[in-house]
Amino acid sequence: MSTTPTAASSAALGSARSPSSRALAGRIRDLALLPALVVLVIAGALVSPAFLTQANITTILTSSAALALVVLAESLIIITGKFDLSLESTAGFAPAIGALVVLPVASNGFGLELPTIVGILLVLAIGALVGFVNGFLIVRLQLNAFIVTLAMLIILRGMLVGASKGRTLFDLPDAFYALMIVTFLGIPLAVWLAALAFLIAGIVLKYHRLGRALYAIGGNPEAARAAGIRVERITWGVYVLAGVLASIGGLVITGYVGAISANQGNGMIFTVFAAAVIGGISLDGGKGTMFGALTGVLLLGVVQNLLTLAQVPSFWIQAIYGAIILGALMVARLTSGTPQN
Amino acid sequence: MTLLKSGPAAIARALLVAGAATLALGGAASAESGKVAVDLTTLTSPFWTSYNKYIIEEAKAQGVELLEPFNSEFDTAKQITGVQNALSLGAKGIIFSPFESAAAGNVLKAAEKAGAKVVAVDVAPDNGPVAIVVRANNLAYGEKACKYIGDHVKEGAVLQIMGDQASINGRDRGNGFRDCITKNYPNLTQLEVPTKAWSGEDAAAGLDAILNSNPDLKAIYMHAGGVFLAPTLQTLKRKGLLKPAGEEGHIVIVSNDGIPQEFDAIRKGEIDATVSQPADLYAKYGIMYLKEAMDGKTFAPGPTDHDSNIVEVRPGVLEDQLAAPLVTKENVDDKSFWANQL
Repeated sequence: MSTTPTAASSAALGSARSPSSRALAGRIRDLALLPALVVLVIAGALVSPAFLTQANITTILTSSAALALVVLAESLIIITGKFDLSLESTAGFAPAIGALVVLPVASNGFGLELPTIVGILLVLAIGALVGFVNGFLIVRLQLNAFIVTLAMLIILRGMLVGASKGRTLFDLPDAFYALMIVTFLGIPLAVWLAALAFLIAGIVLKYHRLGRALYAIGGNPEAARAAGIRVERITWGVYVLAGVLASIGGLVITGYVGAISANQGNGMIFTVFAAAVIGGISLDGGKGTMFGALTGVLLLGVVQNLLTLAQVPSFWIQAIYGAIILGALMVARLTSGTPQN
Repeated sequence: MTLLKSGPAAIARALLVAGAATLALGGAASAESGKVAVDLTTLTSPFWTSYNKYIIEEAKAQGVELLEPFNSEFDTAKQITGVQNALSLGAKGIIFSPFESAAAGNVLKAAEKAGAKVVAVDVAPDNGPVAIVVRANNLAYGEKACKYIGDHVKEGAVLQIMGDQASINGRDRGNGFRDCITKNYPNLTQLEVPTKAWSGEDAAAGLDAILNSNPDLKAIYMHAGGVFLAPTLQTLKRKGLLKPAGEEGHIVIVSNDGIPQEFDAIRKGEIDATVSQPADLYAKYGIMYLKEAMDGKTFAPGPTDHDSNIVEVRPGVLEDQLAAPLVTKENVDDKSFWANQL
């Protein structure tokens, strides 16, 4: 047993192939969705002349920004070999509490009327706190991650409905919408932020010791521990980071929708898992890249946009949405030649 | 107390009901006219949270004892469980809002078996036994929006931001609007953005895309202002297309629900009109009819004392069709709208 994390992870994966062919397979896995994306973009251009315009590409990126941040959070956790279902509730709960402490009673707030900056910081703090509690229960108390975060999903959803009394929060301070309203080169801040987050995560995962440790832990925690990786501390840290990313994702949704409803984020986790897994993040842990996850997000964004532009009959839109995703997976399997898991 | 207010005949009937209740509960010895269970469609839309508030106020005002309302979250299975829980808690009356006309049967059967009366609010079940249905006609919502838009837009593209097409109210509003436009306004091209479970994010993403392919969009009908108002205005604002009424390039917007935020938007000229769903009247007459039904009263078709008609929509299903007025800049400050009384 070697002491380097990469070796630990490859030992864990039990791969019999040589390192170079393994690297090639990983590369292909990264790019697997690209042919499907290209097919969809060509189809889109044929269906609607508006599809390839600059405005519409901005639209696709803008509508995908929140999903991208939460998918990033989830991917990090899945790569570490764990689960977090509660991210969708964090994306609703954190911004709502941040808004409630800022808003006056007349706008359905708590009436504390704290400064806006405190509210925004509180959003991030709540995200971190939820991740910290999840991490404590899963890492320290060694409870099952699936069940813990499922319970957390329900608790936070319930606390959101309770704290807001189910009411939608309108009339928020502009800072809550800033990620969507402030633009740079015509593209909202949220898109740049998501892109930057993916870039940093991608580089750290590929080149930094810490990032490679995630793969090692997800591949085989015992081997990783033997290799000198601080498995508990890193896993716990990933949960906290994911909580913060999800709360930022929540702020992006708020800016996008222009209000916080007690439903914010509801049901989003299915789409999050879909994007991550389509993008090649293995649910077994230890496999997948940020680039792959990003292509998964973009694929879903493109399909949704395309179906709207094509004016697919509304009764059939969900069925067709599902069928296109399945088709994209098959194209990916055929073109990459690598089995998916 | 209920008994003191309702006269000797009612007392006799109430005692009978209470007797039945005693039997059903196997000897619980209280002589009250029975508790009432209320089902809520969701606790996360402004319209339904207002309805919830009115139900609690009206129950108090009319002297009806409520069990804690339960939230079915758009789920028929949760609704059936909630009703059965309420029945085992001894509920003798139930106010519920089916998600689907055809899927209400099990709730009604369970209530009938337990000897409880049922009033349906907002959606009519396909078959009885139901004491009465209190609702406004959702097809008419769509038609009202269509007429307003048709009278203000001569030609071009009009868009529906649709509610969940798996719910009868979403479908009725969609069909009412679509058929009315097709029939009366052939110069208008129709576009649609469906949403899953009335999602505001779907609405924003869909509208954003439509504005790329149809930058000269003339009008929008939102099936539910409670969930679609903010995303619609936010998207228009982001694209620089939110122009107040009267200004060049203004998109005519008709909403549906009648919540205070829509009224504000009408005053500001951001939207043009909304259909005011009578949340207050739903609660008031829902409670009133249920109380009367629990006292043994039955209802017959014909005009009511509150400007509406009771109609037999299907054999055995009576429906009090409440008016749902269209709110525009002209009447937005009218004190009779519930949104102006909060």
